[in-house]
Amino acid sequence: MQALRLVGTYLRIGVQAELQYRSNVLFSVVQSLVAVGTSLAVLALVFSHTDDLGGWSGSELLVVMGVYVLLGGVLRSVVQPSMTQLMDDVQHGTLDFVLTKPADAMLLVSIRRIELWQAVDVLVGAGIVGYALTRLDTRPGALAVAGFAVALALGVVVLWAFWLLLTTAAFWVVRTDSLVELLSGMYQAGRWPVTIYPGWLRIGFTFLVPLAFAITVPAQALTGRLSGWLLLGAAAFTVALVAVTRWVWTLGVRAYSGASA
Amino acid sequence: METAIRVRDLRKTFRVPERDAGLAASVRSLVRRRYREVHAVAGVSVDVAPGEVVGFLGPNGAGKTTTLKMLSGLLVPTSGEVSVLGHEPSRREKAYLGRMTLVMGNRNQLQWDIPALDSFELNRAVYRIPEADFRRTRDELVELLEIGDLVRKPVRTLSLGERMKAEVAAALLHRPQVLFLDEPTIGLDIGAQKRLRGFVAEYNRRHGAAVLLTSHYMADVQALCPRVVVIDHGQVLFDGGLRELTARFSPHQTITVQLATPGADLSGYGTVVPADEGRVAVQVPKAQTSAVAARLLADHAVTDLTIEDPPIEDVIEQAFADRSAVAS
Repeated sequence: MQALRLVGTYLRIGVQAELQYRSNVLFSVVQSLVAVGTSLAVLALVFSHTDDLGGWSGSELLVVMGVYVLLGGVLRSVVQPSMTQLMDDVQHGTLDFVLTKPADAMLLVSIRRIELWQAVDVLVGAGIVGYALTRLDTRPGALAVAGFAVALALGVVVLWAFWLLLTTAAFWVVRTDSLVELLSGMYQAGRWPVTIYPGWLRIGFTFLVPLAFAITVPAQALTGRLSGWLLLGAAAFTVALVAVTRWVWTLGVRAYSGASA
Repeated sequence: METAIRVRDLRKTFRVPERDAGLAASVRSLVRRRYREVHAVAGVSVDVAPGEVVGFLGPNGAGKTTTLKMLSGLLVPTSGEVSVLGHEPSRREKAYLGRMTLVMGNRNQLQWDIPALDSFELNRAVYRIPEADFRRTRDELVELLEIGDLVRKPVRTLSLGERMKAEVAAALLHRPQVLFLDEPTIGLDIGAQKRLRGFVAEYNRRHGAAVLLTSHYMADVQALCPRVVVIDHGQVLFDGGLRELTARFSPHQTITVQLATPGADLSGYGTVVPADEGRVAVQVPKAQTSAVAARLLADHAVTDLTIEDPPIEDVIEQAFADRSAVAS
C-alpha cells in the first residue's frame, strides 16, 4: 500500500515534469509514426509473397506488432529512462542518495524518471491491436481478452525486471553505455512472434531475453493460441525472474561502494 | 547522556587492483590481477553527543568521506563498531535512515527539471512525513533559508548557491536527528557560504540535531564547530576544541606593533615575519608572549599592538606536517 502510494507520487511528479516539454509530443508522434510505418511496410512486403508466416496470418502478426509497439512505449517511457538514470547515478555516486532513503531502493530506482511523450507508442500500439482485431477471422472472447490483460501485465513486469537485472550489471562493470543499444536491439527481435524463429533462437529469446513472455504471449491470447498452462508458466517465469533480479540487486548493492571510494 | 554517534576502532580496507604502466603490464593484469590493500580508515574512535556540532577535518584522501559513508550505512566497515542513534548503520534499517540525512556538496539529489517544491513532495512520500508536519517543516526551512521564490523554479535554472540551499532544505524535511554534511559549502561564494553556515547553526540550535561536518573552508569550521576531529591517513590526529588544536600544534603567537618612529629593528624580540605597511610583526613562543609584549611597550613608543594566534589553516597544515608531535 505504502509502496503504491510512493509509486503514485513519483509518477505524478514525473508527469508534471514532462508536461513542461510539450514540444516533445510532436517529435514523439512523428518518431512513432515513422517507426510504425516502416514496420507496416515490412509486414505488407512479407505478405505480398506469402499468406502465412510460421503459422501466423497477416492480421495475427499485426496483433503481435501492436503488442510490440505498446510494450515498447512502456519500456521507453518508464523503464528505460529510470535505468539510464540508475547507470548515471552509479557512475556519479549519486546512488548514495537513493540508498540512504528509508524506502525500498530497488523500487525507488525503477520509478525515478518518466518520458511521458514516449507513451504515445502505448496508444499507437493499442490502436494497432484494436484494428488488427477487426480483421481477425475469429474475434477473441471475454476469456481471451482477460488472458491478454494478464499476459500484458506480466509482460510489463518481465521487461522491467529484465532491464533492471541487466542494468544492475552496471554495478560491477561501472559503465556500460552500450547496454541500452544492446537491449533495444534485442527488443526489436520481438516484433515477430517467437515461434517463427528456429528452435535454438527461440529458447534463447524465451529464457535469456524473455521476449516471448513479454510480447508473444499476450498476442497468443488474442489469437486463440494461449492455454491456461502457458499463462501459468508465464506467471511462474515472471515470479522467478523478479526473484532473480531481486537477488542480483542485493548483491549489486552490497558490492557498490560509491564512486569516490 | 546517551551518544548520538559512537565509533570504536573503525576500519575500512579496500582491495584495489594494481598494475604497472604499459601494454605488457595491462595484458599481464588481465591474466593475474595484483591487488594492493588500502587502509582508508585505520582505527577511528569518536563519540558525538546529541546536539553537538563536530568538524571533521583532514586532507583529501584522509578517510573523511569513507568514515561518513560507513556512518550513513553506505559502506560496511571492515572491522570496528559503529552505532548511530542506537542503530548499526550498515544494516540500513528504515528506522535509522529515517532519522539521519546525508548532504554532499558536490552531488545533488534534487531532480534537475522540476521545481524543488516537487522534489520536496517526493521526499515527503519517501519519508512518510504526515502532511501537517511536512508543511510546517517545509515552510520553516524555506523561511530560514530564504528560498521562497526559488523553490518554484526548475532546479536547473538556479545558481549553485541557491541550489545548495534547496538541497539542504530537501535533506532536512524529515527533521533528522543526525546530519552528515560532506563539504556542504564547496564552490559557493563567500556570501552563500556564510548564509548556509548561519542556517546550520540555527537549525542545530532549534532542533538539537547532532552534526558531523567536513569542510575545506576553515571559516565553516570556526563558525560552527566548537569541537574538531582531525583525521589523516585514516587515523585520528586530534580530537578536541579548536583553541586546544591551536595550542597543541602552534606553539607560537604573532605580536604586531605600530611604532611612533618606524624603522626600529625588532629581531631581538623574536622572529620578524612579514606584516602590513607601517607595522612590524614578530613571532614568539606562546609562553613568552606577554613578557615580550611588555618589553616592547616599555622599550618603544608603541601606538598599536595586537597579539594573534596563527590562522587555523596554518595550524592544520602544521598538524599534518608534524604527525610525530601527536604521537608523543
